Amino acid sequence: MLLIGCLSSRPYGHQRQTVAAVGRGGIGDATLINLLKKAATDRQLRTDLIISLSLAMIAVFFVISGMISFLNVRTLNRNAELVAETHEVLLGLNNIMSLLKDAETGQRGFLLTGEAAYLQPYEEALPAVENQMMALERAMESQPHQVRRLQAMQGHIDSKLAELTRTVDLYRQEGPDAALVVIRRNRGKADMDAMRGLVSDMQDETRSIRQARLVERQEAFVTAFASVLISAVIGVILSVAITWMISRAATLRRRSEWLQSGQAGLSAALLGEQRLDQLARNALIYLAKYTDAHAAAFYAADGSAYKRAATYGVPVDDDLPKNFTRGQGLLGEAVVDGKAMVINNIADSHLTVGAALGQWRPKHVIILPAKSDGVIEAVIELGFLHAYPPATADLLERASEVISVAVRSANYRAALESFLEETQRQSQELQTQSEELRVNNEELEEQSRALKESHVRLEQQQAELEQTNYLLQEQAAQLEVQRDDLSRAKDEVDVKAIELEQSSRYKSDFLANMSHELRTPLNSSLILAKLLSDNTGGNLTEEQVEFARTIQSSGDDLLALINDILDLSKIEAGQMEIHPEPVSLKRLASDLERAFAPVAAQKSLTLITRLGAGVPETVITDRQRLEQVLKNLLSNACKFTEAGSVELAILQDEGRIVFTVKDTGIGISPEHQHLVFDAFRQADGTISRKYGGTGLGLSISRELSRLLGGTLAVASQLGLGSTFSLSLPLANDWSRDELRRDTKVAPPLPAGLPEPLPERPAIPMPRSDVGDDREKLKAGARSILVVEDDPSFARILYDLAHDLDFLCLVAHTAEDAMATAQQYTPSAIVLDVGLPDHSGLSVLDRLKRDVRTRHIPVHVVSAGDYAHTALSLGAVGYMLKPVKREELIDAFKRLEARLDQPMRQILIVEDDEVQRHAMCKLLASQDVECVAVGTAAECLEKLKDQTFDCMVLDLSLPDASGYSLLETLSQEESYAFPPVIVYTGREISYDDEQKLRRYSRSIIIKGAKSPERLLDEVTLFLHQVVAELSPEQQKLLKKAKHRDAMLEGRRILLVEDDVRNVYAVTNIFEPLGAIIAIARNGREALDTLDKTQELPDQAIDLVLMDVMMPEMDGLTAMRKIRENKAWKKLPVIMLTAKAMKDDQERCIAAGANDYMAKPLDVDKLVSLVRVWMPK
Amino acid sequence: MDAKISPDPHRPVGRTDDIEIRLLLEAIFQKYHYDFRGYAMASVKRRLNQARQKFGCATLSALQDRVLHEPELMTELLSFLTVQVSELFRDPQYFRTLREKVIPHLRTYPSLKVWIAGCSTGEELYSFAILFREEGLESRTLFYATDINPEALKKAEAGIYDLDRLKLFTENHRLSGGKSSLSDYYRTAYGAAVFDKSLRKNCVFSDHSLATDAVFAETHLCSCRNVLIYFDCALQDRAIGLFQSSLIRKGFLGLGAKETLRFSRRSEAFSEFARGERLYQKRDLA
Repeated sequence: MLLIGCLSSRPYGHQRQTVAAVGRGGIGDATLINLLKKAATDRQLRTDLIISLSLAMIAVFFVISGMISFLNVRTLNRNAELVAETHEVLLGLNNIMSLLKDAETGQRGFLLTGEAAYLQPYEEALPAVENQMMALERAMESQPHQVRRLQAMQGHIDSKLAELTRTVDLYRQEGPDAALVVIRRNRGKADMDAMRGLVSDMQDETRSIRQARLVERQEAFVTAFASVLISAVIGVILSVAITWMISRAATLRRRSEWLQSGQAGLSAALLGEQRLDQLARNALIYLAKYTDAHAAAFYAADGSAYKRAATYGVPVDDDLPKNFTRGQGLLGEAVVDGKAMVINNIADSHLTVGAALGQWRPKHVIILPAKSDGVIEAVIELGFLHAYPPATADLLERASEVISVAVRSANYRAALESFLEETQRQSQELQTQSEELRVNNEELEEQSRALKESHVRLEQQQAELEQTNYLLQEQAAQLEVQRDDLSRAKDEVDVKAIELEQSSRYKSDFLANMSHELRTPLNSSLILAKLLSDNTGGNLTEEQVEFARTIQSSGDDLLALINDILDLSKIEAGQMEIHPEPVSLKRLASDLERAFAPVAAQKSLTLITRLGAGVPETVITDRQRLEQVLKNLLSNACKFTEAGSVELAILQDEGRIVFTVKDTGIGISPEHQHLVFDAFRQADGTISRKYGGTGLGLSISRELSRLLGGTLAVASQLGLGSTFSLSLPLANDWSRDELRRDTKVAPPLPAGLPEPLPERPAIPMPRSDVGDDREKLKAGARSILVVEDDPSFARILYDLAHDLDFLCLVAHTAEDAMATAQQYTPSAIVLDVGLPDHSGLSVLDRLKRDVRTRHIPVHVVSAGDYAHTALSLGAVGYMLKPVKREELIDAFKRLEARLDQPMRQILIVEDDEVQRHAMCKLLASQDVECVAVGTAAECLEKLKDQTFDCMVLDLSLPDASGYSLLETLSQEESYAFPPVIVYTGREISYDDEQKLRRYSRSIIIKGAKSPERLLDEVTLFLHQVVAELSPEQQKLLKKAKHRDAMLEGRRILLVEDDVRNVYAVTNIFEPLGAIIAIARNGREALDTLDKTQELPDQAIDLVLMDVMMPEMDGLTAMRKIRENKAWKKLPVIMLTAKAMKDDQERCIAAGANDYMAKPLDVDKLVSLVRVWMPK
Repeated sequence: MDAKISPDPHRPVGRTDDIEIRLLLEAIFQKYHYDFRGYAMASVKRRLNQARQKFGCATLSALQDRVLHEPELMTELLSFLTVQVSELFRDPQYFRTLREKVIPHLRTYPSLKVWIAGCSTGEELYSFAILFREEGLESRTLFYATDINPEALKKAEAGIYDLDRLKLFTENHRLSGGKSSLSDYYRTAYGAAVFDKSLRKNCVFSDHSLATDAVFAETHLCSCRNVLIYFDCALQDRAIGLFQSSLIRKGFLGLGAKETLRFSRRSEAFSEFARGERLYQKRDLA
């Protein structure tokens, strides 16, 4: 029983450990079930073992009792055998005695009778004695003194038998006597007697042994009987005991099976991944059903408290506690105890069983704390209305751990799930973060790349900035220089101004002083002229009188001029004196009216004088000067008015008195209005010729007005008349100082009146000195436009032009020059750079940009060195002032030569009429004549008769292609072949272009900008004929007039894609007698070499090879050439734009004989070719 | 570091630096025939200092030592000395002006040569090629794309650019008045865009130094943008002289946005064609 207890306790402990392991490790339910099954099996085994052991004990018992019986029987048997053995011994002893007697009897018979038949018993007895003796010896082995007796008897037997045998033998051999002798000795008889004593002893002894053995046998019987009786009793007892044990084992087994299946069922119910509430509910349902409980509640640990997780059979409205803590109520106490609590037969409990028909309180309650590893995970309360199965408590005890573990694992699982959820969330977050990181990373990469890029960009920007900075510095430096220049110039100007002022004063003083001196002789001459004209003597012819009158009138004019100049210079010199006095305006008006009435009447003009309302009687001013101004205005008005009226009005206007002189004359254009007050100016340059006058009147008037403290303004409309307004202050402080100041600073003009623009300097009298020939100019006449602001130099040029039979136009300003050039299109222009309004260079630029004037050759003359600019702008020549007369003549002659060239003729070949017309219009100018044809045939027709300077050819013609036309022209001697500009609407392939290039240097594709370019090319062409070749080339040509013997007829292959170089090289070598073949790239070069290789008369003697070419570069071609054996020795000179030594070494490495750096030096190239040309 | 040691951070250090730079540039020229001696000092200084840091040399003299003895370093140094940055249709307005104003002139020539000097990694070349194709001039045009950096030329010839730059390129192309979609001209693969091979069919790639080499062809249009800014005055004049002699009469010269001919000795030879876009036209007689 101890062993059983031990055995039963082990699986429990084992299970406990495993369950704990499950709980701790959170191992799955399957494992739990397995463990439970194993525990059940252990219990079964235990019961089986008990039964088996009991049965084994019974078996052992029966074996032992059997063995005892067997031993008893054997003892009995043996005892019987021993008894029988004593009988045998007794019998054997008797037999031996009888056999000996038989042997003796036989002997005696024989001896007596001598008959052998008597010997038979004797002979039979001999072996039988032997046998009998041996049997006895065997039977008496265990009795030593009996054996000793037997041995003694054997001795007696042997001697008896030996005597018998001797007697028998003696009898036979010697007869009966001898035998009797022996018998008579009586030895045999003694032996016999000894033997009889021995046998009797032995028989006695044997009988006593038999008696003892019989007693022994009896005792054995008694013993056997007793042992059988005892074993029967023991057997009965054993059977009863085993039967009890087996029945007990079965009961145990059922109970344990119930418990096991309960546990297994519970485990199954708890199986799976259940949430705590599900788990609790399942546990309750299962337990309640299994134990026939009617109500149940499940509380799970939640921190320190226990919370209701599920109920069974409890109505919804029950007052079951939702939670409790340790020690609170029985539930709490159960937790404290950690042991199941069973309460039976209670009157009332908080558990309620509820059904539709009623509610009951259970009678019995079991409270079970589910505990594992000493921690109570849950508390279950089961309520029973009736008695519950007896093993319930046990089951619950056992279920405690399972439930606890399940709860724990559910908690773990929940925790795990929440952890998992958390982990997943975190992982998701991580994912997001990693995504973000990746994005960030990419952004960073992007940024880093951008940074790198922007770094480089910055670098560039910095370089740009530096460049800008440098430019700014440059500009600043320039500005500084300019500023210095400016300040220097300003200083100079200041000095000059002072000087000027001084000289001006000197001049004015001089002029003022001169007035008298001038007037005196003039006066006398006027007088004398008057005298002469009067012809008082009557000795003059009519003509002479007329002359005298002319002298007089000229003298008057001269005097007036002198007076004007004098006035002006006086004003400028500040010498004009003002004498203010009260002036009656009424009288002034009537005086003036009276003075001008005759003039007006003469020109049939209405002269009106008008005094406005509120005009004061008098005004304080210098009457003489005021009169002078008004007279001037009125005289001008009368002068410039052919019909209509002249009105003088005197009005008052806000503290000022305004004199207006209004006419209905020719008027002044707005752009000239500000000029009229400038000295020596008139609205129209030609006016002076028509109306006469010095042009000083208005200048003087204005200066006088200023002196009077007033202003003079003009309002006019061309063709409708002019209004001059003199505005004077009513009250004036006539202090001297102010007067002085007034002479310098003009008072502000009243608003609304045009402000005089004093910015343009006074320009000397234009044509009074030089005049020009514009009236004489007829179409086709040779004319030169002189643009020069210095009248004296203009005059010189004017004269020179006349000397050379040019008509001469003169312009003094840039604007004038442009206008004149456009209007008259002179044959040539001599242009000064320093003009008052704009630079002459701008004039040049404008001339060259204007289609009407661009063809006119312009020769620039200047005091400053602008030669480069001027020439680049298109001037034909340049001279630096001062110029010698000879130089001038030279320049004019050059212009003349240019002009003397006959009219340029251009042949236009174009099938489209509109275009033809447009081209004619575009290209035709004064010295260019266009002949237009529409077909190739017409073209040939024209070229047969006429030579043209240039031909513009459209490639698509109705009767023949442009190419074939060109072919024809080049082959047929009968046609003149002018230079050709191809002007086509088609695109031209590279090959076609090369073909065309043979005849035409310029190919223009029609398009938006093509007319411009056509004009440009034609102009260039017509003006460039003189210097086709560069001076270098011309020099070379001259030098190499005689052909070079070494190069004569030699073939040079020029491999070059640049037309310009091809042209240059061809021009260098063809005149020297060499024949040039051309390839545009390495591949073509190889092809050409290939083709000419076989033809001795076309074999290439030397190759000039460019490096940079499309398709195959020079170095590659070079190597390919050297790869061919035939060309191993062909001299090749490479032309390279690369200047470094290793570049050139690369040429040599590729196989070139020599190289030459671009740009090509002609002399050097020729000598290089000479060196390498095979002799 | 040097600046910290030196009491006056600018002058003495600058002077030593300047000497070192001059020596280094001289060394590079003598050994490798790359002539940077005429480059703008400030810029060269910055870039050499970058290179110095990159190569981990304490001083420029140390860098010089390495450059002289490790020829392979020169290739890398070259990419430091030449600023390789560009984009397709950079300054779209420039290309728009070319398209609207210059192309009509160029159209009148039967065949054209265009020199893209300092073509760097080829962006400019492809811009021109695309522009000329759109304008129908590509077939008669030969492009010369030159640069001193052979590595850059290789890239130019490959015509492969990062895909993410294409967005900018496309925008530029659109702004330049592009008549087609830029995507017609490239294929994309492996995060890069490869420009159509046919675009460089009419192109000669060549290394050519504006500092040492001569004119190689007569051209109708030279575009040399953001190259002159790295040159000093004399070298700028030399380069402009090359363009001048390369260009045909009335040929066009395009410069970078910050470059001008105004202060060049050769300004007389060109007239401003489109001022804002730095497009110049060679004068008649220049």
